[in-house]
Amino acid sequence: MTNFSNIGYTLLGLFLVLNWGMLMSATFRKIVARVAGRHGIPIYQPWIDLVKNAGTRTTLSHGVMFYLGPVFRLTGAVGMFLFMPALVGVGNDHWLNFSFQGDIVLVLYFQLFGMLGMALGAGEGGQPHSAIGIGRGLAQHAAIELPLTLGILSLAIQYQTLSLVDIANAQQGGFLNWSLFTNPIASAAILLAALGAMGHSPFNLVKAPNEIPIGPPTEYHGSYLGILMSSGAIIHVMEAALFMNLVFGGATNWIEFIIKTFLIYFYSVFVGVVFPRFRIEQSVVWFFKLPLVLGIIAILIYSF
Amino acid sequence: MVDPIFIVVAALGVGFLIGILGKLGKTFTGLLSLLTIAFMTYVSAGWLLAFYSGSQVAEVITTAGFQAPFSISLLMGYNEAFLTTIVNFMGLLGGIYLFFNFGRKGRNAYVVYIVFLMGLNVVIMSRDLFNLFVFLEITSIATAGLILIEDGNRTVGAGFKYMLATSVISSIFLLGIIFIYFFTGTLSLEDLYNNANLQNAGGAIAIFLVMVAAILEMKPFPANGWGLDVYEGSHQGFSALISTATATASFYMLYKILLIAGAAWNYPIALIGAFTFIGANLFAVKQKYARRMLSYSSIGQLGLLMMIMGLREYLGDNLNFIVVTVLLTNVLAKSGFFWLIGMVKALKLKEWAIIRRKPFMLFLMGVFIFALIGFPPFPSFFGKWEFIMSLAKVGGFSWIAVILIGSFFEAIYLFRWYGMAVKGEDIYDNLEFKTKLNKLIPVGIVTALLFIIGYFSAQYTEAGAMINFIPFIFVLVLFAVDKLPLMVKNIASIAALALHFYMIYPNLAGDNLRLIFEVIFMVGGILTLIAGFSYKGVRRGFYPVAILMYAGLTAIIEAHTTLGFFYGWELMTAGSYFLIIRGKKSMPHALSYMLFSIAGAYAILAGFSIAGIGYTDFNLDILNNIQYFPNWAYGLLLVGFLTKTASIGLHIWLPGAHGEAESDVSPMVSAILLKAGVFGVVLTLIGMTKSDFDLSTLAYILGWIGALTALVGNIGAVFQEDAKRLLAYSSIGQLGYIIFAFAIMTHLGWLTGFTYTINHFMYKAVLFLTIGAVVLRTGTHNMYEMGGLIKKMPFAFVAVLIGIIALSGVPPLSGFTGKWLFYNAVIEKGWYFQGTIVFFSGGLAFLYLFRLIHTIFLGQLKDNHRELKEISIWFLIPIYTLIAGLMVFSAKPQWVLQPLGEIIANYFPNGGLRWDGAFAYTQLGHWTGTGVMITIATVFVSILIILKMLTRKAHKLEQFDVVFSGERPERPETTHIAYNMYAGFYKAVWPLTLPYFEKFWEWATNIVHETAGFGRRVYSGNGQAYMLHIVLFIIVLFFITIGGSL
Amino acid sequence: METLELGKIGLLIGFLLVIVGFWGILQQKNIIKIIVSFTILNTGINLVMVALGYIKGRTAPIIDDSVEQLANHNVINAIVDPVPQALVLTAIVIGFGVTSLLLAYAMKLFRAKKTLEINQFNDLKW
Repeated sequence: MTNFSNIGYTLLGLFLVLNWGMLMSATFRKIVARVAGRHGIPIYQPWIDLVKNAGTRTTLSHGVMFYLGPVFRLTGAVGMFLFMPALVGVGNDHWLNFSFQGDIVLVLYFQLFGMLGMALGAGEGGQPHSAIGIGRGLAQHAAIELPLTLGILSLAIQYQTLSLVDIANAQQGGFLNWSLFTNPIASAAILLAALGAMGHSPFNLVKAPNEIPIGPPTEYHGSYLGILMSSGAIIHVMEAALFMNLVFGGATNWIEFIIKTFLIYFYSVFVGVVFPRFRIEQSVVWFFKLPLVLGIIAILIYSF
Repeated sequence: MVDPIFIVVAALGVGFLIGILGKLGKTFTGLLSLLTIAFMTYVSAGWLLAFYSGSQVAEVITTAGFQAPFSISLLMGYNEAFLTTIVNFMGLLGGIYLFFNFGRKGRNAYVVYIVFLMGLNVVIMSRDLFNLFVFLEITSIATAGLILIEDGNRTVGAGFKYMLATSVISSIFLLGIIFIYFFTGTLSLEDLYNNANLQNAGGAIAIFLVMVAAILEMKPFPANGWGLDVYEGSHQGFSALISTATATASFYMLYKILLIAGAAWNYPIALIGAFTFIGANLFAVKQKYARRMLSYSSIGQLGLLMMIMGLREYLGDNLNFIVVTVLLTNVLAKSGFFWLIGMVKALKLKEWAIIRRKPFMLFLMGVFIFALIGFPPFPSFFGKWEFIMSLAKVGGFSWIAVILIGSFFEAIYLFRWYGMAVKGEDIYDNLEFKTKLNKLIPVGIVTALLFIIGYFSAQYTEAGAMINFIPFIFVLVLFAVDKLPLMVKNIASIAALALHFYMIYPNLAGDNLRLIFEVIFMVGGILTLIAGFSYKGVRRGFYPVAILMYAGLTAIIEAHTTLGFFYGWELMTAGSYFLIIRGKKSMPHALSYMLFSIAGAYAILAGFSIAGIGYTDFNLDILNNIQYFPNWAYGLLLVGFLTKTASIGLHIWLPGAHGEAESDVSPMVSAILLKAGVFGVVLTLIGMTKSDFDLSTLAYILGWIGALTALVGNIGAVFQEDAKRLLAYSSIGQLGYIIFAFAIMTHLGWLTGFTYTINHFMYKAVLFLTIGAVVLRTGTHNMYEMGGLIKKMPFAFVAVLIGIIALSGVPPLSGFTGKWLFYNAVIEKGWYFQGTIVFFSGGLAFLYLFRLIHTIFLGQLKDNHRELKEISIWFLIPIYTLIAGLMVFSAKPQWVLQPLGEIIANYFPNGGLRWDGAFAYTQLGHWTGTGVMITIATVFVSILIILKMLTRKAHKLEQFDVVFSGERPERPETTHIAYNMYAGFYKAVWPLTLPYFEKFWEWATNIVHETAGFGRRVYSGNGQAYMLHIVLFIIVLFFITIGGSL
Repeated sequence: METLELGKIGLLIGFLLVIVGFWGILQQKNIIKIIVSFTILNTGINLVMVALGYIKGRTAPIIDDSVEQLANHNVINAIVDPVPQALVLTAIVIGFGVTSLLLAYAMKLFRAKKTLEINQFNDLKW
């Protein structure tokens, strides 16, 4: 397959994704502000924030785990980028990153690396809101996993592979080859689960804007916050990229990558703007209904 | 050889002598009597030895030069020599035990006692029906007299009922004798066997009458109220003799008469035995008083003996062995038990907690209970084994069921009682018990005999002779030196495990499958024992039972036969029971553990018995080619093993048992012991792969069981407030994964299963050891009472952190190896739904794992924990050793997975992993553990360096320096989110968390108790009602046996 | 009177007594009466025993001069079966022993509770 000689491309890709992520989150904030009738931030605000955060002089710490929390988080984000291909298709072998080290199972489970470390770091901060938010997040994540797993299993059976690269490659040659059209039910299950995974309204009780933000973001300041923002930017893009690779045929060049991730990301943003927030039990039950049924049907198709 | 008539002569002679000489000193009289009984024992034992050496032939002794019935005709054969030896020897021990009790009642008590024993001797030896009647009556009269050595209304009432019942029974016996004489003109047993003159309706009635009397002497259900009362009411020193010596004689009498009656009576006898065995043991479940409970137990044993007798034609060459072992176990253990009761003046079961004041007696009690239930190394273990194996070979499955169900009831009440003794509240200060030497000696002797005879019973069978008893002997040595300091015992135990491992390693070197489990058991054992150094003082009773468990575990691995396997299995069960019951609040949990274990063991036993059909030996390889009823055999074996792995429905014992156990015991019983069940499942499944039958349905069901177990265990863990229970539920879930993975029955599935087995051993040991050590510091299991301990116990925190990353399956640690294999195996097999349930359960694992680490180590430190220190170094050593292993497995999974693949290729040659250096490929996916580890470590370190450069020197914050709704909290309790942490999630999934299985078992328990409570009311206590039972019994039996043919 | 020979009468009465004895044991509440019923049962059995050994026209198996004359020195043909008679003797002795022991128990029972009603002595039950 591939070897480490493409590390330069990988780092370049990472840089692109980071900046694209920051741009995307700025756009998101802008859109939400406009919907609410506000003017919003300038589009370059995230870069200013990053520099400002990195430059803060004082640093406070609750302890070692607190300190390591953001490191875990960013490692998780970078890892997600590394273990997924950036671009697929003919001639893009140098953009496959480290996806040769593992398949989609690795990506799915590695997502949790950052979440877990961050949760622990926030936990050591002793801020009760952190624990509340994490508790909700884990509960919701467990519920999301059900339709998501079923959908991904369905795709894996369809393409007879667990390799994300192979799944994306199999969808090349016109949008009718996308899983969205070749396996619509599994795609539906995955995309509904994606709403939860992206964590926008109605599934954003995890970071419920009114209470939880004063948890981790208050305790994590300065350079910690910088790292957290960077990882947030990468994660947003890479989550969208995950669904892009699974359902929307992946990307064969960076323009396609940007458009597709943008659309997938804003699919969840727009849903969020329209729908009010669920309580945690509501969201868990919601995933157990339609998405789960779709997931089961998607599997049943391949069981007989 | 001394003529056996001298047994009678000596007894009568001394009896008259004492009467004639009158005022001899009491002590002298007593010693003279004991000497007489000793002489009687000497005579019969001499004959027994002569028979044993093979030089002797049976000898008929006629008195007064006439043949029967004109004179007493006795036979001294092998059987008679054996049985009279038992009677006389027990009589001797009983005489020693009752020495002073007799003394208080006067000289004549000795005389009556000697006559009683003489009567039993003649009942055994007699070859003449009428003579049998006479000595039966002599024995009854003597018994009725001896009952009165204890005073009190109850005793007198019991004696009267006994007298009345035996008189009526004898009358019927007599009536039968007359008719037999009328039809045949003889009363000599030799002439009556196959006597043609009895082959008519009249003869049938005559036979019926003597038979029914002989049966009634065996106290059949339900015409045995009088028997119960006399066991309970008479002096316990004497009850011991009624339940052993008298029972032995009655048993042989029934046998002799059954030979007259012929084969037609076999089935009714067996049936009556079955009813008695089940009925008595069932009713015993409801008892609150030790004496009465044991009375029921005695009657149950008589039922078992009757069953053996009725089924003797099916038992072939094993008959004698089965009778001897079951009879001897009953004689020794039951007499010991009654004598023990006599010493411990506690009536109610609850009061038996006082026996703890004398640990040696607690040990004796345990020996008797385990012997009665049929645990190794006691004789009945081997006897019941042969019994059940023989029955299976002739298709006697319902009989097997009866034996196992009855034994299970027996286990219920005996272990409940033992639990109360070991762990009940010792609040009865007013009760005092003294152990007199003359009472302790007989009990000690029967205990020693149980072990010795057990050893020789094992040697009798080919499979039993292969068992290695050295580990067990080491356990006994540990019991003996239990007073030594902990250090000595712990070092000895660790050395013993290490030495044992070293010694058997060459035997296992070619068998990597067994080697894996042996490493888990022995290395795991050593590591968990190291943690024991942190305890102070002597730690009485811990080491013998811990090593007992390890002895059992290694015996399972080393077993070459099904018997050897079952031997190990039972030792392991016994040891782990004692380990579990050591926990402070473990009484009910240990009981439920034991009951599930025993039920499971019986399922295994039944499975082995079916597997053995068509084979003459017990080689363990028969599992690979079960010829008859393979679904039943494998199914029963699996059910049995699943009780140990705590699969769904059979799991309710685990949370309490593991949760309440001591800190270093929890990892032993969780990380190590559960793997014994896994080993059993693997063995069974290996058999299934080799079988010629299609067993895929069984595997399919097993797969669902595994998946649902994973769900039940993990969802249970999410809502625990108790850290150790959380881990216990987690074990249920993890074992569910393992069972599921093995049930897939493909190369990848098994690779997953083994990976999880090894992983679970390591991370569950790490977690349980760490949490256990933390609990030792904090003094509470409740997570919400802890918090912020990372500051006090950083090493413990890191251990738990690594443990939970591994358990949750997050890369790069080894848990992910399992997850990755899982996905591949599930898709390849096509078990999508089961697989999805398992993956969902894996998602739930995050919830409880985060809760575990957060609520204990993160959040707010509690005020009462500010002075805590790091967990003990003795815990850290094994923990970090295991973590090192975990890390190696994570970084170099190929080191383990490749050899595993080679093992599995023996059973599933195709579909394994394809290795390319450190890269593993399946048909679907690819992954490299080493590469991922390096990548993640590189990224992590780079980011850490960047952060270090950005942050300069971080200023350390105080505990309450958080912004909390504009307040600065002062109390940790108000800011520590721990209690009911997943309330929102609970609202969504509560229907899944309801205790369905607990309710089911509660319901089942209630049914047993209610049935027992209702059924036992048949014993109204009224002597007349008992007469009615006898009459009704006779009538019903009449219609069943010959009513139809007249 | 062919049908009512001595042996059959004895047998009939014997069984009647056995039944009466059983009836008494099951029916009477007074312990003494139960014991009496038991002796009746015993007597019935003894009677049955003797009756079964009876042979018409023969005498007791006590060998003295008169018997020897009667049978023309062939004793065996002159006497009834001696074995049941011997058995009955033993059985009577045993019955005596048992009855006396039962009575002794009855005495002790009465001392304990000042009553002889059998249903009062059910301390041990269930």
